[in-house]
Order: sequence, then structure tokens, then C-alpha cells
Amino acid sequence: MGAPFLGLLPGVLPGPLPMHGIGGAKDLPISPELAISGAVAALTISFIVLALAWRTPRYDAATDGRPAPAALSSLVTSTGWSVAMRVLGLVVFGYAAFAAVLGEDLLTNPFFGMFYVWLWVGLVFFSAVLGPVWKAISPARTINLAFAKISGSDPDEGLFRYPAWLGHWPAALGLYAFVWLELVYPYSTELGPVRLWCAAYVAVMLLGGALFGNDFYENADPFEVYSTLIGKLSPWTVRKGELMVISPLANLNTVVPRAGLVGVVAVLFGSTAFDSFKDSAPWVRFVQTNSFIGEHDLGLVADNLALLTFCVGVAAILSIGSMLTGVAPGQSRLGLPRQFAHSVVPIILGYIVAHYLSYWFEVGQDTLIKASDPLTTGADYLGTGDWSVNYWLSYHPTLLANIKVIAVVLGHVVGVIAAHDRAIRLLPPRHHLTGQLGMLVAMVFFTAGGLYLLFAA
Amino acid sequence: MSRLTARVLSLGVALVLPLSLAACGGEDAPDAGTDEPIVIEVTFADGTVTPKGDRIQVGVGQEIVFDITADEAGELHAHTTEELELAYPAGESEQTMVVDQPGVVDVESHDLDQILVQLQVS
Repeated sequence: MGAPFLGLLPGVLPGPLPMHGIGGAKDLPISPELAISGAVAALTISFIVLALAWRTPRYDAATDGRPAPAALSSLVTSTGWSVAMRVLGLVVFGYAAFAAVLGEDLLTNPFFGMFYVWLWVGLVFFSAVLGPVWKAISPARTINLAFAKISGSDPDEGLFRYPAWLGHWPAALGLYAFVWLELVYPYSTELGPVRLWCAAYVAVMLLGGALFGNDFYENADPFEVYSTLIGKLSPWTVRKGELMVISPLANLNTVVPRAGLVGVVAVLFGSTAFDSFKDSAPWVRFVQTNSFIGEHDLGLVADNLALLTFCVGVAAILSIGSMLTGVAPGQSRLGLPRQFAHSVVPIILGYIVAHYLSYWFEVGQDTLIKASDPLTTGADYLGTGDWSVNYWLSYHPTLLANIKVIAVVLGHVVGVIAAHDRAIRLLPPRHHLTGQLGMLVAMVFFTAGGLYLLFAA
Repeated sequence: MSRLTARVLSLGVALVLPLSLAACGGEDAPDAGTDEPIVIEVTFADGTVTPKGDRIQVGVGQEIVFDITADEAGELHAHTTEELELAYPAGESEQTMVVDQPGVVDVESHDLDQILVQLQVS
């Protein structure tokens, strides 16, 4: 290594660095051969599903799944378990708040990693394996519950009934606010703005809980909606107070098609795609060399427009794809997009794995190390301060690239099967085959687009 | 899982695996060490900088030399895993760095809010 910069350890950097999120080097692009293989596989599988899969709907929310072992079931449905989860959530939340309020405005503050990596990415991975984790640990739910206990009221009840027409729209807006902060806002790694964002989130959650009770969290908490949606790909569900083991496909079928679900799905997929796109060489070159953008200082405007375009584009493609079908007399086409939105969730999960796996693994570890010294005082509260990050995954780029493409293609397979089952349930028999084509094209477009972005990254 | 689901899934996996393995067998061999240094010419003048975001292929462990001509002193930031800062004086100078970990590294000027190059290290 050349000498002049080696003395600079992260701890002595002069203040936060704008323009760049946390984490250092990004993944290498996947090879064109791998991207093309993945796209071809996705396309082929789509038509295999169309040609071979069942002709009558298979999944039934009321009966799918079988009881989990009784001991496990009684453990996770016990009060003790639920209290333990709430305490765990409060402790981590309290620790993050401690670092956020009393810690230094430096990139070494673990608050950034806890917020952008543990919460935003960890939420997805934990939910995919364990089910709706945020619902179990959500500090807002816990505080709302505590208020209800103190005042002798019911945490499920608020002053008003949560309006059904509002559905997930507030969650979609909240998720958009998060991805805007992370991906577009230039000071996303300065303490003040991130702290402000979190304070606003907590305030809205507590107010919403008081007004509408727990229904508010179910519908409008961006993290809970995200976590619960991804949790539908886990092998767990609870029915009538009993833990059930269930096929992820059957679990996915139980996503409630509320108002705003299309918005949630569009923000999640669109923003992750934008995250790949904004670091791609063509976009970086374009924003920095376009003379109109340069003269009028419009780089931020361009990023804002691109993020919005990606999200609106996903919503439009999903809506058009699902509505391009014949319907039964009296059946509303406009209701179809939200009925099919669940089938994009596995595509989102596959793409999140592809996009965030190394980031989660490496910056997640880095955050655990930094968390031991939350106030930058040289403390080692957790005993993890002298650990070092394992970069094994980055040193195996071919393996990483293979995992990415397999994750994307698997997500596509699950999504296509989910859409197929939904189509033969909802559409009149004579449109079963042709009615699926629009959605199939939309999904192939999402998957091929995702692979292209991984290739162009 | 039903037989049919199993069949569709196994078909899928059967398709993906050979395709992907065929596509990228034996790529991990690093082309490091023996290469000549890569020289990147950088010019700062009147609040602008060139290059403006070029993608540059670099080997793991290959020496990277920034051949800098600047009208005032400043700093480059390389977003490697442990962030690097390269301070350069006004006038002509050479700054070198090496990246040992595969990945894409942005090299930026924070004063100008510009990405100069993206080093694609593999």
C-alpha cells in the first residue's frame, strides 16, 4: 500500500461526509453472461409455470398449513415471549436513541448503522426467516400498549376507527420518506437530519396509535407493513392463537389486499432499483456531464425525479399488467392491481438479497463493533469493540454474483406461481390463460430490469 | 409442497444452476500483482474537475496513480472499505493508492461534490 493515507483511521475523520451513504466499496457488477442466463431462466420458468401449473386455485387462507410442534407453539404465543420481544425491541431502540442523542455527529456513531442497516435491511432478512418481527418488537406498539395499560384502556382501540380507504397509503408515504432520506437527501449521514426523521416517525406513530389503536400500526407503520409483508414469505403463521408451519407460497396468498398495497410494493421495488441505478456509470456520467444540470445545479432535482420515476414506473407496470385481461361481467378491473401486488413481494425479496447481502453482512458487523462505543469515548460496553469485520463475501465475488442471480430468479419463480394461483381464482375461466400474460410480462420486465441493474452497477 | 410445485421449482433450479455455473466458471483467479500501475490524469481548474465519473478497470493490488494538476490544494476521498483521503497540493503532484478488496470504489472531490472515477477492482 502507498503510505500517505494509511495513518487515517475512520475514527479520526473530520466530520461526516456528505454525498455518500455509510459503507465503503460497493459490489462488483455481475457478468453479462450471468445476467443473461438469469433472464433467460426467468423467462423460461414463467412459461413453464403457465403451461404446467395447476388449473384450479390451490391456496386457501383458512386451511393452509399444519400445526407447529406444540412446545414451540405455546412458547411463541405465550405472554412471556411477547414481553421478552417487547423488552428486546425497547432495549435496542433505547440504545439507538442514546447514541443518537448523546453521541457525536461522526460516521463512527453506530446510530447510522443501526438505522440504515440493522433496521432497514435486517428487518427484511429477519422477517423472511422468522415472520413479522417488527410487529413483535415495535417500540411504538410497546409504548402504546404501556399507555393503554396505565390508563386501563384497550391498545386495539383508539378514538376513531382506522378508515379502510386510507389502508397502506400512509405506510407507502413513510417508506418513501425513508428511501428519500437514505438515497436522495445529501446529508443522510449527518446526525441532525436522521435524528429529526426518527423523532417525526415516533411522534406520528404514537399519535396514530392514540387516534386509531393498533389498527394504525397494522396499516400505517412503514416498518411494520414492510416487515409483515416480507414475513408472508416465511414458513410461519399464527392462526387462532396457534403457530402453524406453512409453505411460503400459501403464506403469501394470505396478504390482505388493502388500499395502498400497490404503493407500498412500488416504493420498495422502485427505490431498491433506483439505489442500483444511481451508482451505475451511465447515470453518474449523465448527471455530472450534462451541461443543463451542471449550470442550474440540478443534480438533486435529477435524483429526486429519478427516484419518483422508478416508483411510479413500478406502480404503473404492475397496474397495467394486472388489468390487461378480460374480466367477468360486473368485475372491476381497477380492483385487480392490489389483488396481484402480493406477487411482487418475492421479487422484492430476491432483489433485496441481491442488492444488500454483502452490505448487510459487512456493514452489519461494522455496526456491531461501533455499537460498543456509542459516544466515541473509547468505551467498549458490549465487548465487541476489538472485533474485526469479516469481508469473506467481498473476496468471493463470483460466489456473491451467483447468489444474487439465484436469489432474483427464485424470487421470480415464487412471484409467478403466486400470480398464477391468484389469476385462476379471480378471473373467469375463459381468460385464465390470456389474462395471465400481462402480469407475466410485467414480472419478466421487473426481473430482467433488476438483473440489468445488477449488471450495470 | 405439492408434487406439481416441486416439479416446477426443481425445473427452475435445474435451469438456473447449469446456466449460471456455465456462465461464470473459474473467474476468481485474481489478475493482481504483475500489472503496471494505472495512471489517471486529474485536472482541477476554475472549480471544475476532469474526469467526471469514468469507470476504470483495476486489478486487485494494482497500483493506482493519480497524476494531479490543480489550481488549488484539496483532497480526494476514495470510498474504500476504510475510507482513504489523498491530500494534494496546488500545482502538479502524484498520489498513489492500492485497493486489495474486490468491489467498486468511488473516488470523489467533496469540495466540488463530484465523483471523478469509479474504480472497478476485480
